[in-house]
Amino acid sequence: MIETVRLSKAFKEKVVVEDVNLYLDQGESVGLLGPNGAGKSTTISMISSLLKPTSGDVKLDGQSVIRDPSKIRKVLGVVPQEIALYQELSAYENLKFFGRIYRVPKDQLESRIQETLQMVGLQDRQKDPIKTFSGGMKRRINIATALLHSPKILILDEPTVGIDPQSRNYILEMVRQLNVQKGTTVLYTSHYMEEVEQLCHRVYIMDHGRVIASGSQSELLSILSNEDTIKVQVNQLTDAFITAIRNIDVVRRVEETGDGIKIIVQKSRNIISDLVKLAEQENIQILNFQMENPSLEDVFLHLTGRTLRN
Amino acid sequence: MLTFLKKDLLLFWRDRKEVSIVIILPLILVVILSFSMSGLFNNGLGENDDLSLGLVIEDNQDEAMAEFESTVKQSPSIPEEEKRALLSHVQEASPVAMLTDFLKSPDLESWMTVQTMSRSAAEESIDNGDLNAMLVIPENYTAQLLKNIYLDDGTEPSLSFVAKETAVEVDMIHDVIQGFLDTMNLQYALFASGSEMDFAQVKLPEGGMETIEDKQSFTFTLDQYFAFSMGALFVLFMASTVASRTVVEKREHTFHRIAITNTPALHFLFGKTFATFILACLQILLIFIGSHVILGVFEDRSLTFWGGLFFVAAIYSFAMAGLSAIMTSITLRLKNPEAVDGIFLIIIMVFGMIGGNFVPIYVLPNWLQQIGEWTPNGLTLAVLMEWFQFEDISLLWMPASVLLVITLIAITISIILYPKRGETS
Repeated sequence: MIETVRLSKAFKEKVVVEDVNLYLDQGESVGLLGPNGAGKSTTISMISSLLKPTSGDVKLDGQSVIRDPSKIRKVLGVVPQEIALYQELSAYENLKFFGRIYRVPKDQLESRIQETLQMVGLQDRQKDPIKTFSGGMKRRINIATALLHSPKILILDEPTVGIDPQSRNYILEMVRQLNVQKGTTVLYTSHYMEEVEQLCHRVYIMDHGRVIASGSQSELLSILSNEDTIKVQVNQLTDAFITAIRNIDVVRRVEETGDGIKIIVQKSRNIISDLVKLAEQENIQILNFQMENPSLEDVFLHLTGRTLRN
Repeated sequence: MLTFLKKDLLLFWRDRKEVSIVIILPLILVVILSFSMSGLFNNGLGENDDLSLGLVIEDNQDEAMAEFESTVKQSPSIPEEEKRALLSHVQEASPVAMLTDFLKSPDLESWMTVQTMSRSAAEESIDNGDLNAMLVIPENYTAQLLKNIYLDDGTEPSLSFVAKETAVEVDMIHDVIQGFLDTMNLQYALFASGSEMDFAQVKLPEGGMETIEDKQSFTFTLDQYFAFSMGALFVLFMASTVASRTVVEKREHTFHRIAITNTPALHFLFGKTFATFILACLQILLIFIGSHVILGVFEDRSLTFWGGLFFVAAIYSFAMAGLSAIMTSITLRLKNPEAVDGIFLIIIMVFGMIGGNFVPIYVLPNWLQQIGEWTPNGLTLAVLMEWFQFEDISLLWMPASVLLVITLIAITISIILYPKRGETS
């Protein structure tokens, strides 16, 4: 349905997106994962025709939309990361204004406004100015605005940043329903791994402007199929203890957590006995061991050496 | 485009602080400045400002007096006793000497310099801006005046008062001379029961000397000046206010949201342009009407006058809409939109200063006054002042055409500057 071909963007000398290839089939829900500055928003800006790519192409149903973006604009709903609403206007006035410029037919506009308000659960607050809304409510109207013209493809750029868990769950459920019940194709960007895990069929992982991995969740997790994640809870931590663990030949990575350490090891050997021995040497008491299934977060860590929220 | 216009008007209306600033503040300033500056003007002018008048005497007073004396003496119809009284009175109260003495009296000397000079020298000085005005006592003035008053013979002679342009200072000199001549006429009339001398000729100079009957003009005061200047100035602020909303729309990404719809790109720009026109028009009219209600600045004026005022306000608002369009396009191109307010403020201050919106334009040097008339606000101020004084429709066409041309140029520039897709920073 929608596809980018070697999409690149450079601002003067700085390349922010490089050779990004991704595609979305109709009805799919696809995640775009990456830390801040990975190039996700720039990629979305190019797909949504806000930015012209330096090179590469964006295709809708096989046809390029770079020169004439009107086709893609018609079918695309974009929820920007920022609250792109007029703060002094009411929710209703914002929706009416954007509905008109999205060219929703006049006779349908009122019903579409009410439908989208109902969808985001803010029908009773429609006359209130946006500036009086909470962060979560603003995010919901931000999404409602992108849904006014019933887009076939919905792009959400980190739609849950900075909001309370309740609003976050509301938004995630709403996106899931749009995808499952209405067949809307979704491109969801986030650096909250669990959201992508919950919503998306396939995932693209971006870092430093490039797609570094892609596939279904199981495909991505299989990258870590020859590794185990061990969480160790201890009463205290010393540098010597951590260094000693790092020196074990099968240990790939050691990361401090709040109350202990997270160790990624090759599946070839059990290192529990080594850990116990080292703890004894350092007078450290091991409180708990936990073997974990790898997550997308672990995949990202494996691929980039960084956590998503760095 | 109507959608954008409605949005911009609604956003402006919702910003109560902005509404009160653009409507109430100029009215407060008009009132404050009118009271404070008129006091300064009346009290301080004598001490600080030096008005200058060139006095051109082409009349030969001695010859006229001798001729008049001879005519009176030879007249068989006047009794001898009356002849003596008449000649004695005329010698004591020679009109030119009285006028010259008055103009050079200590009372006037402290705030008005009167130089006696030739007509050509006076004309040159007016052109250079060295003189505010010149008063010409023409050839045979005394002879004609005396014959007309005392012998009821011939026509009334006129003095010529010539100035380069209308100005408060010129009005003041004119009023002083007129006041003196009225008094002198009264004295002559009392003595001879004769007719009044007519002093109503005001000549505006060069490039088609314009003669305007004083009786048909209206006295322009600082009250009207500040109503006009604040109106013109605050509409400049309105152009900037509407344009600088684009900064918020960029910052809050609503502009980006608009940019990814299929709405023609220029609708955003034209929405701002028309919103500025409507708001500017309303603002300037509210300032005029408010000034009139509070200070009575346009008392006893005709419907034609008000029509002309509305016409100039509308044309000026078009020009300001053009300016606002340029500012909008610039805002969209600027990397640091937060700097926009500062840049616009500087532009407004410069326009306001050279356009005579902060201080009466007459206190500025001539070259600056000429530049000022090339700014939309300066030109509007000049045409409003002329319209107020002379209410002559022919005065409106040229400035209106210039303002419309400025509007078209400004809108064209704004379209050229308006960023294409991906060019916004």
